[in-house]
Amino acid sequence: MQTEPRRLHRWSWLFISAGSVRALIFPAIGAVLASGGVLLTRLDLLSLIFIVPALVYAFVKQRVYSYRFTESELVVRDGLLTRNVRHIPYERIHNVALVRNPIHRLLGVTSARIETAAGGKPEASLRVLSMEAAEELRRYTLGEVEKTAETDSPTTAPADTPLLQVPDRELVRLGLISNRGFIVIAAVLGASSQFQWWDEDWIQDQDWLAFYESARAKAPAWVGWLTESGTLAFGVLLTVVLILLFLVLLRLFSIAWYVVRYHGFTLRRKGEDLRAEYGLLTHVSSLIPIHRVQLVTVSATFLHRWFGRASIDLETAGTSEAGSELSGQLAASGVATTRQWLTPIIEAGRVGELLRKVLPDIDLEAVEWKPIEARAVGRIVKRVAIVVVPVTIGVTAILTFGPIPLSGWHGLWLPLVTLTTTWLIARAWVRRAGYALTDRAIFFRSGWLGRQISAVRFVNMQTVSMRQSPFDRRRRMASVAVDTAGAGKIGHRIQIPFLDVEVAEAILLRLYDETCSTEFRW
Amino acid sequence: MHELEEVGNPDPDPLPARSPVPPSIVDGEEHAVDPRSVRVARLVGIPTILIIAMLPMIFITIGWALGGIPNMVYLPLLGGLLSILALALSFTYLWTAARHRHLRYRVDESGLRIRRGVFWRKVILIPTSRVQHTDVSQGPVQRSFELATLTVHTAGTEGASISLAGLEHATATRLCDHLQPDRGTDAD
Repeated sequence: MQTEPRRLHRWSWLFISAGSVRALIFPAIGAVLASGGVLLTRLDLLSLIFIVPALVYAFVKQRVYSYRFTESELVVRDGLLTRNVRHIPYERIHNVALVRNPIHRLLGVTSARIETAAGGKPEASLRVLSMEAAEELRRYTLGEVEKTAETDSPTTAPADTPLLQVPDRELVRLGLISNRGFIVIAAVLGASSQFQWWDEDWIQDQDWLAFYESARAKAPAWVGWLTESGTLAFGVLLTVVLILLFLVLLRLFSIAWYVVRYHGFTLRRKGEDLRAEYGLLTHVSSLIPIHRVQLVTVSATFLHRWFGRASIDLETAGTSEAGSELSGQLAASGVATTRQWLTPIIEAGRVGELLRKVLPDIDLEAVEWKPIEARAVGRIVKRVAIVVVPVTIGVTAILTFGPIPLSGWHGLWLPLVTLTTTWLIARAWVRRAGYALTDRAIFFRSGWLGRQISAVRFVNMQTVSMRQSPFDRRRRMASVAVDTAGAGKIGHRIQIPFLDVEVAEAILLRLYDETCSTEFRW
Repeated sequence: MHELEEVGNPDPDPLPARSPVPPSIVDGEEHAVDPRSVRVARLVGIPTILIIAMLPMIFITIGWALGGIPNMVYLPLLGGLLSILALALSFTYLWTAARHRHLRYRVDESGLRIRRGVFWRKVILIPTSRVQHTDVSQGPVQRSFELATLTVHTAGTEGASISLAGLEHATATRLCDHLQPDRGTDAD
């Protein structure tokens, strides 16, 4: 079986050139600045240098780019001078992510990214395809052809009911919980700093005092009491109002950001995997390869818990998820991570149910938590004391011999306050932290105000290790860690500290046995 | 001979039939690596330190010879550098031995276990079922001692590659074969 070569959609040049123009914006700004702004008056020249090559490139690319489907692989042809043929076996394809912004939707097209276990950047990026072509691509690459052929409609029909839908009011709540407002503000500030729409000299030259006086004169009488200038109350009130306004604005931005980005978040079962669809302006439809999930983390910040909510994220091996919240955040810092949300928000009570449906091996309601050593509290307090004690001695010395008219005894407030708080927090933390082993997976939970639970199925464990610092050895303790494929640098994972050394060894051996008796598959 | 054994003895114990390694290695006992590895580590480490330490000494000596640095400064500086060098050398000398003392490995049917660390101890367990591939490498100094480094690669992240240096070359090769997954399924 081999299909005819398929070409990109006839509007592709638009999106390809838009992509390269975006990449050329900074060189273009550089060129404008270098010419002392003269180039801005010669837009014809500017477009000749930057836009025409992009258009030519796009048209050539659209003409030479083709792909076809064979029995077992996707063959992508590319390149004018150096011909490049890439074979991507279907079984290596983790995901075909479809991303549509408003222009895509206007033209009825979508861009598709082929993601494989290789990680980092997508293996192939098809920009752009008609919706039918995209469906065909998914059918072939994700093996949905056989599945629909094998299992007839009775089984597929109920499977198409959404597993989870996040209504807009939940997204509003999420906006309140998260600090996304800063991103919007940072984006606005970043954009405005690029364009320098204000004139610094103008700002400095203005007589702001006169401006203020004239504004006060024009203000209606009922705010007159506020504008009694110079009073302390006025200053304080103004600051408070401004801060409150800023905070409210921040939350409003945050809410708007979440609603725009995740509007209509829906999880559907798609064969063995899940498909997430969301977005108000840019519609994203991406596959969550459930069988490639290496680690699951349920987290709830303090505010999540206040609202009785939690979020669930998954770490999948290799893929970089298009449109994924967490990878997008890190892409800027050059770290390719693989965490993606199963859901950004969910009622705390439904976490177990959703997880059980998605990953039957991870049954949060069936776990029996075992505590870590209570002796850990003392060790944590001691760690803090090592810092606090010398500082206290210093402060006491300054108070006793320095010019401040306070008794040296006041220096003791410092350890009293810090060590008690540390002790209280450490006690809460240690009480909460724990681990659990079921016959399919290992769980670890920790956190004080914000709480996190991570789980790894035994199938997904790679190596297991036990560590002992010299302090651990003195107190006969150890920590146990589980390594998984594609573990990112950030995030909660299975690293259980402060275990009794014998308990740690038992866990280690149990995990080793479980790993040996299972087979890892990508 | 293996076939006969398997026919005559349906005992599921896979050790004699499947293992390509004589039972002496796959014994589930802890072993130290070859003691000569200490000498190898010293032969590599000490010249490195010497070279690093020589450079500043050469520079200040040139400065002194050209009259840029007075005797008053040069002699204490040289003395200081020499004592730091002596400290670093003795530390390396002792540390290589200590590291060797605390390095143990154990091989059984299901995988490899490495125990290491002088102050910060670590035990790492690598199941054969998670080994992607294994390498045996030999540096020039190792070669003259017939020693080698075994590196085991897994699909993990922190434990993506785990090396065990200072094995006898023959042992390393046999371990490499033993840990190599001979599952025909994962051709990719």
